[in-house]
Amino acid sequence: MNRLDRLRGPVPPRAHDARALAALAANPGCARRALMDAAGVDKDGTARHLGFPAPFGQSQFAITRGNVFEALVKENGCAELLRLLRELLGLPIDQVGYQDVETVGSHLRASHTRTLIDRAARELDAAVFYDHPMLSLQIAGHTAYLEPDVLAFQLGGRFHIVEIKSFSVIDGQAEPEKVAAAARQAAVYVLALRALMADLGHDPERVSHDVVLVCPENFANRPTASLVDVRRQLAVLKRQLVRMTRVDRLLEGLPPELTFSLEPDDEGVPTRSARELAEALGRVPARYAPDCLSTCDMCMFCRDEARACGSTDLLGRQVRDQLGGVSGAAEALGLAEGTIVPGEGQEEIARVLRLANRLREECLR
Amino acid sequence: MSESLDALERRIAELRAEVRRAVKARDGMRARQLRADLRRAELAWDEAIMAEDPAAIVPGLRELQEPATSLLPIREQVHQALLLLGVPSAARMVVAVNAAFFSGALRGPQLTSLRRDEERSFRSDPYARPYYLCAALTDRLSPARGLLADSTWPLEARVVGPLSPRVDYLTAAVRIAEHLERLADPPPGAVRLLSRMAQNIPGAAEGFAPTDPTTVIRAARAELEVHLAADAAQRAEVAARAGEQLTDVERLFGASTLSTLRGAC
Repeated sequence: MNRLDRLRGPVPPRAHDARALAALAANPGCARRALMDAAGVDKDGTARHLGFPAPFGQSQFAITRGNVFEALVKENGCAELLRLLRELLGLPIDQVGYQDVETVGSHLRASHTRTLIDRAARELDAAVFYDHPMLSLQIAGHTAYLEPDVLAFQLGGRFHIVEIKSFSVIDGQAEPEKVAAAARQAAVYVLALRALMADLGHDPERVSHDVVLVCPENFANRPTASLVDVRRQLAVLKRQLVRMTRVDRLLEGLPPELTFSLEPDDEGVPTRSARELAEALGRVPARYAPDCLSTCDMCMFCRDEARACGSTDLLGRQVRDQLGGVSGAAEALGLAEGTIVPGEGQEEIARVLRLANRLREECLR
Repeated sequence: MSESLDALERRIAELRAEVRRAVKARDGMRARQLRADLRRAELAWDEAIMAEDPAAIVPGLRELQEPATSLLPIREQVHQALLLLGVPSAARMVVAVNAAFFSGALRGPQLTSLRRDEERSFRSDPYARPYYLCAALTDRLSPARGLLADSTWPLEARVVGPLSPRVDYLTAAVRIAEHLERLADPPPGAVRLLSRMAQNIPGAAEGFAPTDPTTVIRAARAELEVHLAADAAQRAEVAARAGEQLTDVERLFGASTLSTLRGAC
């Protein structure tokens, strides 16, 4: 652990939330992100110090919209959600219990959730909805607190995570990227709830891997629900968390004095120069992909780095996989224009590239 | 006529700029005032332009755009809505009922400090008012988040168990439907409110058409039947506990949870 502390420098580690954990599962191959998260480095601060601040943080409008929709689904003791679950899961009429975990003080919410879940699992007094629950998950030796929208417990003694999102499902279709992001986030909650069940001595499989996703239907504000299977996301997440506890393997081959420290001076400005920090980060390989732009604080820095070395990662995973065996954008262009003779195993991709080039030329003529 | 239109347009532009400045300075009060002025100026502009072409006058437009006002104080308006609903209700529900049946002048943010003000009034001079707007009590005897209740209701009606949110929702739907049946000319807003609530009651609504109050009452009573006995037992238990353990103030406004003490330690 000492080496991780050295990586972070003399500042307190950053706590993880569900969004950060979900982002981790979005790009499992990225050693830089895994290492920075394991050490609890302030990625946002690092990116800003390097001069590559991330372009996101949710817009105020999106947050307000999300909150309003969530309030709509949950109002009157989850009346809307009750209708949806009756339709979707065949919830019997007599199951309508609603427990608001937030009636205890915020510092007691995690333990109160634990008590309520334990009682529900023993079928002592099971309510259907647990509103404002708080779960915890151990990540690389630190406790992260997670707040799922609603926990539903129903028929057959299984728990379902309910995730309320404000992007709309139009004609039964939603944007795949947004659904994928919601599924990743929900997988974090499923994992945390399973850990809690195992800890309480119950069967963790009683937490369903089918997550209930609630979204506005078509162009109205009326909620609709669907089941999303998150088994794949769970597997990725588990692997990633195991990797974080075994970071020593990632640390192998790195110089022992390496640090991403942001130690501030009296005025709160990091003492280290941006160039030194960039050099240190350069020692750990990143795997940049365009989807990083919506999930990772370090995205602008990694993109700049990928651009500087003409990496094909910039073009997205699909193109990168097709361009396997071609080392960079320059080589790909050379192959397309015929200035570079294709090496062994490159004939196939060279032919495709040349064809694409010819099409482009003809279009532009 | 066109001169006064020009003057109005200038005034509207000025007001818009001032609203922007007020929002930037985070002066919410002033921004709200200016927005009201802006709305009035825009209405005046609409009227002025209509006056030039009488054929374009839309009947009823003026009433639609005019913000509603009421002479009753806020607590009276909330009490009116609570009397109709007859169950502990969230601020949103109170506002919706007020807009559907009464003045429609109530706004959500006006209700945030209501419970605190009532509690302060009760503490300084207990039982001086005929009624207080108080809290509903959870099974831990703490005030339930966001629910408003009437102090003259029996304790059993003011405590909430796990089944109570559903029971109260169905009861509220029944009360609103009954009130609609009594009215000779039901206001369209109220019919919409009932239709929206009926969507979540099995057998009460077909599609998105305006619902029939009698159908809603029958469907809601049918579901109430299932929950009522269990809910009443839970409520009686909590109410008995509250009657034994709490002081007068706490019985109305809830026992303080640990979180409120946290600031002291």
